[in-house]
Amino acid sequence: MKNYYTITAFTENTPGVLYRIADLFLRRKINIESLTVSEVKNEDQSRFTIVVFAQADMVEKITKQLYRIIEVVKVIDSVDTDLVAREIALLKVSANKMEQRKEIEHLVSITPFTRIIEVKKNFLILEKTGTEKDINDFYDLMKPFGIKEFVQSGRIAVFR
Amino acid sequence: MKKLTGSQAVIESLLHEHVSVIFGYPGGAIMPIYDALYDYVKSKKIRHILVRHEQGAGHAAEGWGRVTGEPGVVFATSGPGATNLVTALADAMMDTVPIVCITGQVHSSVIGTDAFQEADVIGITAPVTKWSYQITQAQEIPFIFKKAFHIARTGRPGPVLIDITKDAQFAPFDFEYPSEIKLKSYNPTTQPHMKQIELAASLINNSKKPLILAGHGIHISHAHTELFDLASKADIPVALTLHGLSSFPNDHRLYAGFLGMHGNYAPNILSNEADVVIAVGMRFDDRVTGRVKDFLPNAKVIHIDIDPAELNKIIHAEVPIVADAKPALQALLQHVKKQTHNQWIEQFKAARDIEKTKIWDVECNPTKGPIKMAEAVSRISEAIKGKALVVADVGQHQMVAARYFKFKLPNSFHSSGGMGTMGYGLPTAMGVQVAKPDQTVISISGDGGFQMNIQELGTIAQEKMPIKIVILNNGFLGMVRQWQQLFFDKRYSMVHMESPDFVAVAKAYGINGMKVEVRKDLDLGIKNMLESKGPYILEISVEQEDNVFPMVASGASVSEIRLE
Ligand SMILES: Cc1ncc(C[n+]2csc(CCOP(=O)(O)OP(=O)(O)O)c2C)c(N)n1
Repeated sequence: MKNYYTITAFTENTPGVLYRIADLFLRRKINIESLTVSEVKNEDQSRFTIVVFAQADMVEKITKQLYRIIEVVKVIDSVDTDLVAREIALLKVSANKMEQRKEIEHLVSITPFTRIIEVKKNFLILEKTGTEKDINDFYDLMKPFGIKEFVQSGRIAVFR
Repeated sequence: MKKLTGSQAVIESLLHEHVSVIFGYPGGAIMPIYDALYDYVKSKKIRHILVRHEQGAGHAAEGWGRVTGEPGVVFATSGPGATNLVTALADAMMDTVPIVCITGQVHSSVIGTDAFQEADVIGITAPVTKWSYQITQAQEIPFIFKKAFHIARTGRPGPVLIDITKDAQFAPFDFEYPSEIKLKSYNPTTQPHMKQIELAASLINNSKKPLILAGHGIHISHAHTELFDLASKADIPVALTLHGLSSFPNDHRLYAGFLGMHGNYAPNILSNEADVVIAVGMRFDDRVTGRVKDFLPNAKVIHIDIDPAELNKIIHAEVPIVADAKPALQALLQHVKKQTHNQWIEQFKAARDIEKTKIWDVECNPTKGPIKMAEAVSRISEAIKGKALVVADVGQHQMVAARYFKFKLPNSFHSSGGMGTMGYGLPTAMGVQVAKPDQTVISISGDGGFQMNIQELGTIAQEKMPIKIVILNNGFLGMVRQWQQLFFDKRYSMVHMESPDFVAVAKAYGINGMKVEVRKDLDLGIKNMLESKGPYILEISVEQEDNVFPMVASGASVSEIRLE
């Protein structure tokens, strides 16, 4: 059965690692749902957070194959319950009329981890952080107003 | 500390790694390195062998790497020089062979601008290298070389590529070679976990029908004695993969034979009866397993490999052991009990006898008709008493060489297993010969594959490498023809090949040779070849539509092995 897995790989911070990691997923035909690369503070390392939708045994195999990449220091694969994970989304929502604007402001104020970051004549730019589900729910909530643009980050996660 | 240019530093680094031979081909982007090389070659500090095609250099380095365990070294220029290496890199990656390729690259200021002879070599070769790195500053050379050789030769060995921009080759800097290396992210496990060893030993001690499947890892880890001792103590039959051939004495009562698609009847038909399998230094290639879901249905598998990614990749391992083969087998030996499995071993003998009468005797000793491939190989094997290093190309003759040559020297069969690279044989034999000048080196090719790197005859002639070159000429791309005969209604599509007079070609290069067309000349031809001082070509016309049997059809279970 397929499931969502978060693979966290700590690697040396050198060029070419991303290429090799991406190639491995490509060869195994595993689609990467999201990928975030960040620097590990005070260590010359990168942290790759890779979300995939795959079979458990495939995740285990690919985790071991990741270790074949010389620069890979440590790999941890986890299911969602092992992690606290967040993503961030930016939404550009139409707001031509005063009532709409009021309503959006109200919804934003009662939805946790959500805020208005810019107010323009015809639209508002909103920021939403949360899990993928929180973001999807908020997207649906805003949809009736007309979403002009939407962008969502990859996942970042820490272990419980 | 001494002041050196990047190019001098490259050669000095190689000397620090005890490199004595480079296989290479010069060109624009690697000219500064070749200029530095000039002095070192003149003072005989290092030898350079000018190949005729970079692929040849790559395979020659593989030959060197396979027989010495030390990385074979290649020089090539940027762009086409580097792309010509790709096949050899892929081959070395699949077959776990240590090589270090050094390629020139355009000046760092023009990288990414589609400069003349620029290719993204790091990008192109990433999937087929264990590690690669682009040097753009001379100061990086000592550490990167140290790291490259360390990575190529340790753990699961493999190919490494270093790309060096032209400006880095020119730049002067203070050279100092690191004496030690410690990498944070790469520390292969070599010692087995004792808990796992105990588990494995208890499985072995309680088994009725144990079987060892041994592969390339035995050679790489020099574990021949350990394999022999373990098998002898616990009385376990030993079956070998293609790359495992010559790791266990083939005339021993415990020798079960050669595994796989064209392997021996006994290990294929009996592996499915085994109750415990000890797989060591092998990776369950599909040519070995046949239909995976029906492979080893009754066995608990103990899998020993230095690469954790191989464990549970194809076959579930009851007891996975991440370790170098040698210490793992040593540890197992301590824990297994002395046993006998006479009945089980008798079964192998019975199966071997079936193969002997049905195939071996027929193939090796025909009295009429054209010469058979098996006959030629076994005559050569007898003439040299199995004491030669054999390099086979890819095709029917490869399987025939693997099956009928009676190897008497450890690590004496070299062939492209994982990649199945036609054209591999002749250049690989060069590397083997240069590394082992005191041994007889026999290269066996088909008429097709021989022409894929035939140009290396030039290198062999120039360097006076006394390689004994055998061409089994059947006028076909034989292995493909065999499949067309068996699985495509004998529709021989594009497999007939006309070839030049190979002996005349050899003569043009100044290499002696003889063509054998009839049985009565076979022994004379072999004698002439083995007695010749220099390189020699023996072209043998063999039965055109000869087939290699036994055979496990692709997708079939190994127990469905066909004898005809
Ligand atoms: C580079 C490459 N191209 C194609 C193949 C496919 N192939 C495998 S065996 C074979 C035939 C080899 O013919 P030949 O060298 O004459 O040897 P024979 O099988 O006749 O002994 C071919 C074409 C291959 N293995 N490698």
